[in-house]
Amino acid sequence: MWELISLVLLWVIAAGAVLAGTLAIWIWSRNLTRKMSLLRVFVQVIATIALFVVLLFIPLPWNPILTGLTYSIALRLTIVFVLIAVSTLVLGRFFCGWLCPYALYMDLLSRLRKALKIKYWNLPERLNNALDALRYVLLAGIIVSALVLGVLHPDVWRFVIMLMGPFKPLIIVFLTPIEPLVNQLGGTLGFEMWGTSFHDLSGTIHYFNGELLILITWLVFFAFTALSFMVRLSWCRFCPVGITLSIVNRFRAFKWLPIMHIDKVEEKCTKCGICKRVCPVQVTEVYDEKRGNVTASKCIHCFRCVEMCPYEGCLNIKFAGKKIYKSKNWLKQEEE
Amino acid sequence: MASEIEKGTKYIPEMAQSEIDELKGSIKAASIKVIEDNIERMKKSWKNRPKAMEYFDEISNFFGRREKEIQEQKKAGKKVIGYSCIFAPIELILAAGAIPVRIGSGWYDTAKLGDRIMPVEICPIIRSTVGAKMVSLSPYLELSDAVVIPLTCDGRTKLSEILSDYKTIWLMNPPRVKDDPHTLGMWKEEIQVIKEKIEKLTGNKITRKNLKEAIETMQNATKAFRRLQDLRKGAPVINGRDAMLVNQTSLWDDIGRWTQKVNELCDELEKRVEQKEYSSYPETPRVMITGTPMIWPDSWKVPNLIEESNPQGVVVVDEQCSGDRILYDPVGVDEWTMSDMVNAISERYIMACTCPCFTSEHGNEDRINWIIDRIKEYKVDGVIYYVVRGCILYAMEYARIKRILDRMDIPVYYLDTEYTREDVGQMKTRVEAFLEMLEARVDI
Repeated sequence: MWELISLVLLWVIAAGAVLAGTLAIWIWSRNLTRKMSLLRVFVQVIATIALFVVLLFIPLPWNPILTGLTYSIALRLTIVFVLIAVSTLVLGRFFCGWLCPYALYMDLLSRLRKALKIKYWNLPERLNNALDALRYVLLAGIIVSALVLGVLHPDVWRFVIMLMGPFKPLIIVFLTPIEPLVNQLGGTLGFEMWGTSFHDLSGTIHYFNGELLILITWLVFFAFTALSFMVRLSWCRFCPVGITLSIVNRFRAFKWLPIMHIDKVEEKCTKCGICKRVCPVQVTEVYDEKRGNVTASKCIHCFRCVEMCPYEGCLNIKFAGKKIYKSKNWLKQEEE
Repeated sequence: MASEIEKGTKYIPEMAQSEIDELKGSIKAASIKVIEDNIERMKKSWKNRPKAMEYFDEISNFFGRREKEIQEQKKAGKKVIGYSCIFAPIELILAAGAIPVRIGSGWYDTAKLGDRIMPVEICPIIRSTVGAKMVSLSPYLELSDAVVIPLTCDGRTKLSEILSDYKTIWLMNPPRVKDDPHTLGMWKEEIQVIKEKIEKLTGNKITRKNLKEAIETMQNATKAFRRLQDLRKGAPVINGRDAMLVNQTSLWDDIGRWTQKVNELCDELEKRVEQKEYSSYPETPRVMITGTPMIWPDSWKVPNLIEESNPQGVVVVDEQCSGDRILYDPVGVDEWTMSDMVNAISERYIMACTCPCFTSEHGNEDRINWIIDRIKEYKVDGVIYYVVRGCILYAMEYARIKRILDRMDIPVYYLDTEYTREDVGQMKTRVEAFLEMLEARVDI
């Protein structure tokens, strides 16, 4: 029953994604000024495919303790987790804006919303800041619940697996609504390696194999799908995955750590406010801060502000102290 | 029954029609002469002036081609909406199919007429505009069906009252502190109100499609404008006055045609850059003008002096709402929805503006930063801080800017004047002394 519903929904979503993608391409072809966004979606798609491969295809040569699926999935998730953690420490929340499949999904919904000319709503600044703080609460909740469940549950290894994979069930309810999409897509599209058939995979990923859990997962998933037609990137505003940089940015001692950041030149800025308005997660720091490193923990590094800033060289992306991209007179680009 | 307050006009004294006609005739003749004279002088100091400039010479004549065009379009049913200040949202006017024209006045002679109802301490731009209205001189003000007046300075606040004797006046109330959390919200409301008024007057609904087109028209204009401004960054290929005239004609010309003509001019100039065919020798001291708007034709007094004096200077950039500020900032639209377009327009017209009517807890930093940036970008040798008497906002900001520029070792000269031709001789001495000093510095 669930499989059938999932299957139907899955194809609906897949068709929607294709449609949104086509629309997006159509819009880009008419508007060549948005090169950074174009590049970003391209990278996002590649990254999503790569994540699938990591999650489903990479053969694992050794299998010391656990047997079968549980182990391999846990290990794959761990690989992804380490990738996220390291890239976030080094690049800032680059993962969020450029690699995360769920952000891609959110972006595609944004594109669809744009194509349908539906107006977005801005969250009040205080609510947005509160959501930003909610990340920590969620992360703490996930760790605590994993500990508690690990103790309560007879199978100790499940606890270990829970801690290892940041994309884990229970957690899944809060953490990544994309998971049903990712896994079941893997199933339905016939990625049957390692016995990850539809049935097995969902059964293993949802340890409890409870229909209630799956239902909740899908409900959360659809709630955020619907919400992103009103609020831009609604999920990314409190997603705990992008927490590393938040932690790093919160403490001054670590400020040097992310080597990629947005840099602002005070003299070129007229405070026209474009950067503030176009930011999909409503970062205000880029506008409010006068100069220097203006990266905020909320920032998902989509660089929309840099792309849209109409003053040449006002906003710059610096990678290890080197400028790799700067705001341009985007009016001029149109003809190139 | 009309109450006492409602009887008669509010400000402008009744004048005999014969007197009006006579004054108008003589001032108009004088003005045409000034326009021709200015163009003649511009031609003289730029030997091989490009052919593309001829178009702007033609459009610069208030009483010529453009006036007739607007009259014809008005007969065809188009509405004309005037505005006194660049805070007025042009995109909305264009989207409704109306013709935007700026009504600020640069006639010295009418300033004297304005003295009849206003004290001489008032900014002469205001006095001149009122004077022009008294004798129905300004074709654009006469032709406009409504006038948008953003209350940016005290002069404009009362100007709106005086003009309301004759015209439908739409007021806009810009907040003075950009950083304030309510500012943008308030201004968006103002824009929304103006939008509805424009729709009502023209009878055209501003649709998403229209507005998008209008925004794109203006973005193209900005693109051409920036192209021209960028050309001034190198060794001078265009005289400052000519560039200023080109910039200023955008205030009353058909913006699509203007864009096209500016691009033609830029094509020509780009060729000259390659051939190193400069308008004056490359080491000419590079001057920046900042301060009160210099309105065509009479206010060409100062740039004329700068570019004709000996030693010669060249105005490479200005920071004035009659020049660089008109079109430099684009409307940056993220999503082409009505709400985002209106948001983008409201932001562009208030946040991007560096008018001294703004302040913040740290002072008007945006303007100072902008001046510093221009100085660096355009390799400015010296700044002329132009203020007409009565323009207190600019005058009061001078002290801080001077201190900052002194620290940067950029000479700045405070040039205060009036709407009068009498001080030309004395100003010539002042400007020449300043340029001589600049030239000496360039030599080193």
